[in-house]
Amino acid sequence: MIYQLKIEEDAGTTVNNLLKSMLKDGKIDALVAMQETPTGKSAFPTMVSDPDKLHTNVFAPLLPVSTGTVVSHMTKVQGPKKPLAVVLRACELRALVELAKIKQADLDNLILIGVDCLGTFPMKTYSDFDENPTEILLKGEGEEYLRTACLNCKNPVPENADIVIGVYGADEGLFLDARTEKGEGILSDMDLDEAEDVEVREQAVNDVRGKKDETRKEFMEEHADIVGVDKLLEFFDTCVNCHNCMKACPICYCRECLFESSVFDLEANKYMAKAKSKGAFKTPTDSLLFHVTRFNHMILSCVECGLCEQACPSDIPLMNIITSIAENAQREFEYEPGKDPEEEMPMVVYREDEFQDVGEG
Amino acid sequence: MSENEKTKKDFEPKVVGFLCNWCSYAGADLAGTSRIQYPPNIRVIRVMCSGSVDSVYVNRALIEGADAVLIGGCHPGDCHYLNGNYKARRKMVLMKNILTTLGMEPERVWLRWISASEGQKFADTVKEIVGETKKLGPNPMKERWNI
Repeated sequence: MIYQLKIEEDAGTTVNNLLKSMLKDGKIDALVAMQETPTGKSAFPTMVSDPDKLHTNVFAPLLPVSTGTVVSHMTKVQGPKKPLAVVLRACELRALVELAKIKQADLDNLILIGVDCLGTFPMKTYSDFDENPTEILLKGEGEEYLRTACLNCKNPVPENADIVIGVYGADEGLFLDARTEKGEGILSDMDLDEAEDVEVREQAVNDVRGKKDETRKEFMEEHADIVGVDKLLEFFDTCVNCHNCMKACPICYCRECLFESSVFDLEANKYMAKAKSKGAFKTPTDSLLFHVTRFNHMILSCVECGLCEQACPSDIPLMNIITSIAENAQREFEYEPGKDPEEEMPMVVYREDEFQDVGEG
Repeated sequence: MSENEKTKKDFEPKVVGFLCNWCSYAGADLAGTSRIQYPPNIRVIRVMCSGSVDSVYVNRALIEGADAVLIGGCHPGDCHYLNGNYKARRKMVLMKNILTTLGMEPERVWLRWISASEGQKFADTVKEIVGETKKLGPNPMKERWNI
């Protein structure tokens, strides 16, 4: 069932009041949502259980960390015993679903609240705005400042959530879409009005997905020339091998990454033998290998949040290549990360009658 | 024949082979004990299962300058660990897909099913790989000091 919500003051406050009443009524025991820091210069996923300390702004256009990662840390040792609501953007929800598949998050007792995403700004852009960044985006402006990943987002409307807070198609209010029984159970006794124009919502969601598909396609075509070893070396020229992209990535979950281990530390004479055979080699070594291996390990689950690009100290525009790599690899295995929590990841299953030309001469 | 084509044909490719303990490695062994001639360009690394060959090994070999990489496993249905070779096949599809997108010559990576009784097939596979790799020319990554 889709409900509608009238906006009081502003959209952020309206949703905050709604979440507050869920907390007060005891429907949820605590919640994790974006809350602006006192300076107003940033916002972070924050766990709140005291309704008086709840000052969320679920529309804050900023992605300092994936809430998927946050929830993974909070639930992988043991899931919550009491209902915990989590407010996530579409890409964060996709990441969380992928993490749950590899047992890095426990979705039991979680109430997943998805928010339509209008896009997010880079950290610095966000804190540099004089005006409230949330207002700018809700007014439909500021698109030129969005992060690359957001401009080319493959689906800004969350799926798999218990409740979706809808902005697209809502002219003077918000939609509240109860997608599951759990979500319906919470919304049905909250005294909400049923949405009148459900078709408008559907149309608007289709429109935005269609529009994003177009920009995404153009973006991939624009960067289709980054191929071949020389172009790749040029692309990664300023990589300092800090592994920040891997640390920010919600999908890179390994407790100890192979590349952080001492596997690549060899005896000095081996390095010298390599220098002899090649004449010279750059250090830190293995930085292209790191990226190519990382792609192999995470690309099928890549939710295209762009946190890797945001984390790069050298401003390497990683999404310029990751978008195509993810698109091609996921198409090959007909796999959409984050779409279906029941669907198994491609690398843990197989069929006897597939790819039969591979391996035969 | 131009100078360039000549050097291409004349070079001796280095091939790294990851062979599974139960089938392909035994196949290679059989080729040796049966005195079947095949090019000495392959350097064999014995692994317990083709499914255990992570992309990092293959990509490292390529980036360090191997001209080709072979992964040898048991025939589908014959895996000692039941399904390791099916997983190897999926890994290979992904690896090649990514190499294709990046333009990093996926044709340098080979997967072949070679059983313990197929000494001849092993020898033929090595011949085929060496022949095709000579046509491709040396791996350009060998020359890059800034890789």
